[in-house]
Amino acid sequence: MSDLGPEMNEPEALAAEHALGVLTAPERAAAERRMVAEPAFAQAVDAWRRRLAVLAAEVTEVQPSNEVWARIERALPVNDNIPQLARRLIFWRGATVGAMGLAAASLMVAVYLGNRPPVVLPAPATATAPLLNASLNTEGGQPLFVASYDPARQALIITSLAPPGTDPLHVHQIWLIPAEDGVPRSLGMVEPGTAKTLPLDASISQLAHAGTQIAVSVEPPGGSPKAGPSGPVAAIGALGEI
Amino acid sequence: MPSVTADDLSALMSRVAVGDREALRQLYQATSSKLFGVCLRILSDKDESEDVLQDVYVTIWRRADRFDPARASVMTWMSTIARNRAIDRLRARGPLARAEQIDDMEIADGAPSATALLESAEAIGALQRCLAELDDRTEKAIRTAFFEGVTYEALAQRLDAPLGTVKSWIRRGLMKLKGCLEP
Repeated sequence: MSDLGPEMNEPEALAAEHALGVLTAPERAAAERRMVAEPAFAQAVDAWRRRLAVLAAEVTEVQPSNEVWARIERALPVNDNIPQLARRLIFWRGATVGAMGLAAASLMVAVYLGNRPPVVLPAPATATAPLLNASLNTEGGQPLFVASYDPARQALIITSLAPPGTDPLHVHQIWLIPAEDGVPRSLGMVEPGTAKTLPLDASISQLAHAGTQIAVSVEPPGGSPKAGPSGPVAAIGALGEI
Repeated sequence: MPSVTADDLSALMSRVAVGDREALRQLYQATSSKLFGVCLRILSDKDESEDVLQDVYVTIWRRADRFDPARASVMTWMSTIARNRAIDRLRARGPLARAEQIDDMEIADGAPSATALLESAEAIGALQRCLAELDDRTEKAIRTAFFEGVTYEALAQRLDAPLGTVKSWIRRGLMKLKGCLEP
């Protein structure tokens, strides 16, 4: 074949391949990280997604069953959006929406705050947002902790598989490490051989999604004296839907 | 229902981002048959596609605040989510799951639906024209990758061609496509 034309440069090719979906899972994860780190690469992926999304337009429309909407409504997290209003306002201020859109959004927020009683309802038992799970393994691949993030409760449930009373001179501190910036956030401690539910601040829980890493470091009593871990990492794993 | 424009969808999305369920319902009414079509095209199974569709709209509800109108249209953003979720589901079926042999793949699903909300008729026409300029093998490979989320390795196996060759076909094909769409 002589009319194949030239090859693309490497970042452009990778962006196209990522948008098309031909990369393996580890390559996809690496591309996602690169999108966070390199705005130009993210723009290239966006541009390819726009080009290829037109393919989806060829698909014939099909009406789903009527009960699907009812199922979606039941699965919506209660009040999911209310505590994050401040964050969303910041987003809408920064987004390139027209002045009308911005005014409408602000008005809507005012109406919302005005109409809502100042009580945050607990999530109902029927909330079905999927848990994100992680097995935290040692460097040798041995599972040492199991973690589940519950989006409905915005809490991380962590279970230590270490025998109770292990290493009484140290504590096990849990960290959430988002792929976005790689900066560890402390979530608290867990005693060997016990389970613990750790509620996350809204600012941290928004970072808990598939691919976010959970790590446990070995620290002096009271926890790391620094902002990040000071001792060795005992185990690490990434959240994912299982 | 009356035809929905891209601006209508953007307005709905900004309401969804502040937690307006009625806006999500309207967004669902306007877009669900398109996104369901995308899921069905990938999964070829009604029940699985409805599960994925549910997941897609719950994801849209949760992540509406991350939608950036500067980066993508509402439909592009939503159909990317639908396609990725459906492909994840397809991959989760395991290595034996292959929807169709590449040789049996239909080239297109007939005439594109006349909906204005997904992409403009002009953009659809341009992409079809540009895809038609590729050789058949490359066009099929690109369509299979798009609709089934198959990796280079799987494509190479199906086409019974060396990995490097398949990679080169796709890369050159995409390059030509870009040149054709944006001369």
